Amino acid sequence: MRRALAVLAGLIALAGVASAQTFVWPQKWTVAKPSEVKRGGTLRAAVISDYRTFNPFITAESGNVPSIISGGRGLVTRDPTTGDWIPYMAESFTVSPNKLEITFKIRRGMRWSDGRPITADDWIMTWRIHTDKAVGSNSYDSFFIDGKPITLRKIDDYTIRFTYPKPDATAFAVAAFVPWPAHVFGPVYQREGAEGIKKMWTLNEKPENIVSGGPWLIESYRPGERLVLKRNPAFGEWNKDEAGNPLPYLDRYEIKIVKDTNAQLAEFLAGNIDLMAPATVDHISQIRQAIQQGRLDATIKVNASPVASSQFMVFNWNKASDPFKQSLFRSDKFRRAMSHIVNRQAVIDIVYGGLGTPMYTSVYPVLTQWINPKVPKYEYNPQQAAKLLAELGFTKKDKEGYLVDGKGRRLEFNLATNAGNAQREQMAKLFVDEAKKVGVKVNFTAIDFNTLVGQLLSSGPDRPFDAIIIGLSGGDLDWPFGSNVVPCKGNLHMWNKSGQCIDPRETQLDALYSRGRTELDFKKRVEIGYRMQEIEAQLLPVIYIAGPNYHPAWNNRLGGEHPDAIISAIWGQRELELTFIKK
Amino acid sequence: MTAYILRRILYLIPTFFGATFLAFLIIQLAPGDYLTQLELDPKVTPETIARLRAQFGLDRPIYEQYLLWMDNLLHLNLGYSFAYQAPVLEVIWPRVVNSMVIVIPSTILLYLVAIPIGVYGAVRQYSLGDRILSFLAYIGLSIPSFFLALIAIYILLQIKFRTGTLIFPVSGMTSSGFEQLPPLRQLLDIAWHAVVPVLVATANDIAGLSRLMRGQMLEVLGQDYIRTARAKGLAERVVLYKHAFRNAVIPFVATLGGLLPSLISGAGFVEVVMAWPGITPFFLDAIANQDLYVIAGFLTVSLVLLMIGNLISDLLLAWVDPRIRYE
Repeated sequence: MRRALAVLAGLIALAGVASAQTFVWPQKWTVAKPSEVKRGGTLRAAVISDYRTFNPFITAESGNVPSIISGGRGLVTRDPTTGDWIPYMAESFTVSPNKLEITFKIRRGMRWSDGRPITADDWIMTWRIHTDKAVGSNSYDSFFIDGKPITLRKIDDYTIRFTYPKPDATAFAVAAFVPWPAHVFGPVYQREGAEGIKKMWTLNEKPENIVSGGPWLIESYRPGERLVLKRNPAFGEWNKDEAGNPLPYLDRYEIKIVKDTNAQLAEFLAGNIDLMAPATVDHISQIRQAIQQGRLDATIKVNASPVASSQFMVFNWNKASDPFKQSLFRSDKFRRAMSHIVNRQAVIDIVYGGLGTPMYTSVYPVLTQWINPKVPKYEYNPQQAAKLLAELGFTKKDKEGYLVDGKGRRLEFNLATNAGNAQREQMAKLFVDEAKKVGVKVNFTAIDFNTLVGQLLSSGPDRPFDAIIIGLSGGDLDWPFGSNVVPCKGNLHMWNKSGQCIDPRETQLDALYSRGRTELDFKKRVEIGYRMQEIEAQLLPVIYIAGPNYHPAWNNRLGGEHPDAIISAIWGQRELELTFIKK
Repeated sequence: MTAYILRRILYLIPTFFGATFLAFLIIQLAPGDYLTQLELDPKVTPETIARLRAQFGLDRPIYEQYLLWMDNLLHLNLGYSFAYQAPVLEVIWPRVVNSMVIVIPSTILLYLVAIPIGVYGAVRQYSLGDRILSFLAYIGLSIPSFFLALIAIYILLQIKFRTGTLIFPVSGMTSSGFEQLPPLRQLLDIAWHAVVPVLVATANDIAGLSRLMRGQMLEVLGQDYIRTARAKGLAERVVLYKHAFRNAVIPFVATLGGLLPSLISGAGFVEVVMAWPGITPFFLDAIANQDLYVIAGFLTVSLVLLMIGNLISDLLLAWVDPRIRYE
C-alpha cells in the first residue's frame, strides 16, 4: 500500500513537471563537444534511387522517406558504442520472468509535429495497420515468430506491453518499430480499411500534411530531383545534447536524387554534396587526389569496415536426374575442395581493387562480435583441393587435362550468375580459371537475374542448376543467421530445397538456430552462434567468397561524426541529429 | 481527303489492340516479376510474397491481366504502379514534363543547326568548311551521348578546380534552395541547369541529321530540273532554296510525326548521367523492377502518340509534296 502511494506520488510529481522527459544524446556518440557545436545550416546528401512514397505502411525500399523523417527509432534504439538496446521513446522497460512479455513505460511529453501527444495508442494503431494483410506492409513478417503473432496491449496511455509467443532474440528489434500518428491514420483505417491507408501520403500529398515524430519534417519534394527536410521543433523538446541544446542542430537536410554514381562523385568533388560512400577504387582515388591537391576539403576513411553483405557459391543438392552430380554436390569433401579453389585474395585484388574482405562463414565479417575466430577456413590451396578430389576417386586426367574418376566420368559442372553483375561475373571467371588448373571443368554462363532466382528458389527432388554465385545482404546484430536460410524448410535454404534435412549437420544447425533465437542472454547466444559456425565450416553448405568494404567520405564543413572506433557499415559515419555545419 | 483521313483513323483501332497486346505479352515473357527481388530477402516469408502477388494480380493468367488492363485503359486509366502504389499517369506525368524541358529546346536547336549545316555541306561540297564539318559529324556520331555527358561533367569540374566557379551545374534540374526563389529566378535556374544537357542531347543528333540533309540536298542538286533552272538563268539563291531545298526537305517532313512520341520519350542517357529527373531514368527503373503497368502504360501512350504522329506526317506530306494526291 505504501509502495503504491509512493508510485502515485511519483506519478503526480511527473505530471506536474511541465517540460518533457528528455532523451539525452550521449557525448560518446560524436567527436564534437556541445560547446563547439554551431546551430543552423543545411546538410546536403545524394541518393541513387528515387523515393516512391511518403506512406510508412507501403514503403518498401531501404532509405525511404518515412524512416528518414522518423529517424528510424522506436521505443528502444541501439547504442552504437556497445550495440546494446537502450530505452529511447520508452523511458524504461521491464522484462517478465518468463521472458514472454516486455512492458514499456513511454516517455512523457513527446509530441507529433502537429502538436498532439505521442501515446500508447500510436503504437497500437501502427501495429494494427502493419499486421493487416490487405495493407501489404513490408514489416508484416517482423510481427510474427514462426507464424505466431506478437501482440501489443495498451495498459494505459503511457504503458504498453508486448507479448511474444516464445522468448526471442529479436524481441527488442521488433519493439523498435517506428510509431505513426493514430489520430491521422486511425480514422481513415476505421472508415475505409486497408484501401484507405494505401491511398494516404502518396508523393502528391502536401508536405504540411505529413506528420512526423522524428527529427525531420518534409519541406518540399521534387520527384526524381530533391527531397528537402527541415528541423522538427517538437523533436528538440525531448531530444537534447548533454549541454541541454535541442536537436537536431541542422536547420535543413537536402537529399538530391542522383541516379549515376559518377555524377554523385562529380557533385561531391565539386563540393555540392557533403556525404559520399564511394564504392570503387577509381572513385576513392579521385577523392583522395582532390583532397591531396587541395581542391577539396574533405575526409575519407578507406576500409573503415567490411559491408554487411555476402557473395557466395552454392551447389544444388537436389539433382535426381543426374545421380553422379548429386552425390558429388552432396559430398562435403567435394565442397571443401571447391573452397580451396576459390582464390579469395585474387577476388579482392581484381574485383574490389584490393579493398575487400574475405569471407568464410555466413556471419558477415563486419559483425565482429559474432565471428568465431577458431573456425577452420579452407583457404585457397589448389594442392589440397587436388588431394581431396583424389580421395573422391578423381585421380586420372583425360586428353584435355580434366579429372576423371574410375568409371571415366569427367569432373565437370555448370556455374551461373546474374548477367550484368560485373563483380559476380569476374568472380565466376576467376573460379573457372583456378578450377581448370586443378582439372575441374566449370562451364560458366551469365543469365538473367530473375531466371537465376527462379532456379535457385525452385524446390523438389530435381532442380535445374548445378552451381550459382549470388549474394545476400542485410545484417542482424541480435541474431545474424537467416530465418529463411538455416532451417531446412527455409525458402532460402538454397542448397537443399527438398523440404527436409538431408545431412545430419543440417538437422543440427536447424536445432541450434531455434535454440539461439529463443536464447535471450547475448553471451550464450553468441556461444550458440560460434557452434553453428563450426558446423557450417564442416558442412560448407555454401562457399563464401568475399565482400567489399565501406569507405565513408564527408566534406569538412561537417562536424559531429562518430569516433573512429564506431565508424562502420553498421553504424555509419555519424548520427544526423548530432551533425552540425562548422563553416 | 476526308475519306482518306477517316480510313486512316479506322485502321488505327486494330493496330492499337494488336500493338498493346504484343507489348503486354513481351513484358510478361520476361522471367520473374516485380516481386522476384523480394524473394531473396532473408526476412520475407514465401507466404507474404504469395499474398502480395495475389494482391497485385500477378498470379492470374496473362490474358486475364491483359483484359483487366484494357478495361482500365478504355476508362482512361493506365493502371497502377507497384513500386509507387499510385496511378501510373500520376507518377509518369511530372517526369515527362521535366524531359520536355530538354527535348523541346534540343529539337528546335537540332533543326536550326543541322539543316543549315547540311545545306552548306552540299552546296560547298568538299570545301574546307565541308570537310571540317564532316569530320566533326563523324566524331559526333561515334561518341555515345552518355559519354559526351561524362566529358561535359569532367570539363565543368576542371574549370571549377582551376577557377573556383561552376559555370554550369554538374547535375540536376534545380539548385538547392530552389523553392525559396521568386518565380522568374526559378525559371532562370532551370534554364541554367538545362544548358549542358540540351547541348549534349543535341550534339549527337546534329551529326546524323546534318549528314542526312547533306545527302538529300546533293541528290536533288544532281537532278535535271535543277540544271534546267540554272540554265534558265535563275538566281542561284532561288535555285537553291525554292527548287532544291523544298524537295530535299520532303523526307524530313515524313519524320516530323515521329517527333510526337519522342517528345515524351525523354532525352536518353543524358538524363541518367546528369541526374536530370526526366522519364528515361524513371523508365529504366521500371524495367529493372518489372513494374508492369508503368512499362505497359508508358508504351501505350507512346504508341498512341506515334499513331497520331504518323497520321499528321502523312497529311503534311500530302501538303508539301505535290506528287501525292488522294482521290
